[in-house]
Amino acid sequence: MITGRRLEVTSDRPTQFVDISTRLQDEVTATGLVSGRVYLQSLHTTLGLAVNENEPLLLEDLQGTLERLAPRDVAYHHDDFTRRANIADDEPVNGHAHCRQLLLQPAFTLLVENGRVILGRWQSIFAVELDGPRQRSIALQLDGEFAPSAAACKNDRDRELVELELARQLRVDPESVQLPMRRLVEAGGKRLRPLLVMLSARLGPRQEPLRAAALAAAIELIHDATLVHDDYVDRAGVRRGRPTVAAAEGASQAVAVGDFYFAKATRVIAELGNREVTSTVAAAMETICLSQMDDVRLRGLYPGDFDVYLRVVRGKTAALFAAACRAGAQLSDARPETAEALSQFGDLLGIAFQMADDLLDYSESSGKPRGQDIRERVLSLPLIYATENDRVGPRIRELLAGSVSEEDVGEIQALVSASGALQRVGRDARDLATSAVSQLDAIDVDGIRPVLADLARSAVDRVS
Amino acid sequence: MTGQTEVRQTELGGLESVWESGMEDVYAFYRESAPPRVALAAALVESAVDLQRLGGPAPDPPQLLVGDLCLARASRLLAETGEQALQVGFAQAVERVAAAASAGSRDPGLRDLLLAAIEGAR
Repeated sequence: MITGRRLEVTSDRPTQFVDISTRLQDEVTATGLVSGRVYLQSLHTTLGLAVNENEPLLLEDLQGTLERLAPRDVAYHHDDFTRRANIADDEPVNGHAHCRQLLLQPAFTLLVENGRVILGRWQSIFAVELDGPRQRSIALQLDGEFAPSAAACKNDRDRELVELELARQLRVDPESVQLPMRRLVEAGGKRLRPLLVMLSARLGPRQEPLRAAALAAAIELIHDATLVHDDYVDRAGVRRGRPTVAAAEGASQAVAVGDFYFAKATRVIAELGNREVTSTVAAAMETICLSQMDDVRLRGLYPGDFDVYLRVVRGKTAALFAAACRAGAQLSDARPETAEALSQFGDLLGIAFQMADDLLDYSESSGKPRGQDIRERVLSLPLIYATENDRVGPRIRELLAGSVSEEDVGEIQALVSASGALQRVGRDARDLATSAVSQLDAIDVDGIRPVLADLARSAVDRVS
Repeated sequence: MTGQTEVRQTELGGLESVWESGMEDVYAFYRESAPPRVALAAALVESAVDLQRLGGPAPDPPQLLVGDLCLARASRLLAETGEQALQVGFAQAVERVAAAASAGSRDPGLRDLLLAAIEGAR
């Protein structure tokens, strides 16, 4: 079996040796590779790879060697833009960095035994930035014999526990509210928020999976209750490939079902008897409601700009991600700094998730009709970026100014796709997911970092 | 002291018009049997159910969202009291009213349920 991954690396200096040994081991652990090989490949012409000793003075020596062999301040043909064709506006002066890259490896293979990357006593693995600061990607392939990792097994148990708890919670409810909500819950969904609760609830001394599952299910029900109301507000007919409550049972039922589960989730959380958790979730619910009102009000200024988008998304989507992380940590009596770091992770991940979700409006396989965000004038980052584009922006604004026909929706979608906005949003989402994971660097995440990193990656690499 | 000055401005943020269109009177009613924060939470829940016309024709979307905010604000106020019995009692009241509305059965009487929750938490 071969599994592919990407390792995102951020540099903050022009030349920098970034030690990726721990992160690479995390990737191996997360995949459960027991015995085999990891192939690494730099995806950049000014990022090299190296195995050497992580000793600060030696790293200065290595940097000095690169500088002597390919000095920055001599003339390189590559930097003579008058002689080059198709130069981008932001083309860097970096002939020295390309030449230095020749002295390093663009790719190599490492061996894995007993689940550990084999390294000598003094060996560390470096991504060597030669033209930073930048955001970089390294492609990985892991090949060999895999076993389910301990973290992955625990993750599977968490998923199972959340599903059981959700089913148990729903089973006791009156049929009139239970059946429509079950249709929504059983249609799937990624369960990211409840999984964040379960993972965060492992980080304190008080680890009680059943209480964590109750909180996780309640958070999922809050999310689903907001979807039921949102679908009425947005006049959406389909959600997760099935009819919405508003479409199938009618608007009045959608209001009642949303209210019932909003209240029920509040009660379940109150019954846990943890004041911090109750306050965290209540504050998030209020933020979500304020942002939803903001969102509807701003549809008059459609398509909006990035600042408006960020404000609304942070409230509408990221607030519950952040609360799921914080409340899970609080339930386990984790340290305040752990809860805070997890909350920041959730906040950034929530924004990244929404960006990736925006891209699904342009996808055939998302389970909802293409172009729905445009029809309902929902804030959407691809559209915002496309309207900033000099070539297609004016035409998109012109189309959005009037009532938008189906033909217009198709044209807008084509213009957005042609503008490069989808790729830009995809990059932004991946960068934010990377930043989210880096929020965890300062805390002890007790072996779940790879799982959280995996969750972050799956939140932005989506097809549905 | 008027209800308006007793209730901190931040607790009415985004809901000023709801306050002026009747919530102040509802608050005054509950204030006779509950401290300010709890009375406001009860008034918010009543206003939410009223705005969202539970059991009747659906409200327009902006009204629905204002109702959601009332419910969320009430939850936050109750969380700040730290009174678990109140949080549970208020939530159960909304559950019962919403379930009855959804099933088309008799309205269980929100005000009675909320007063019972307040009484039960003493």
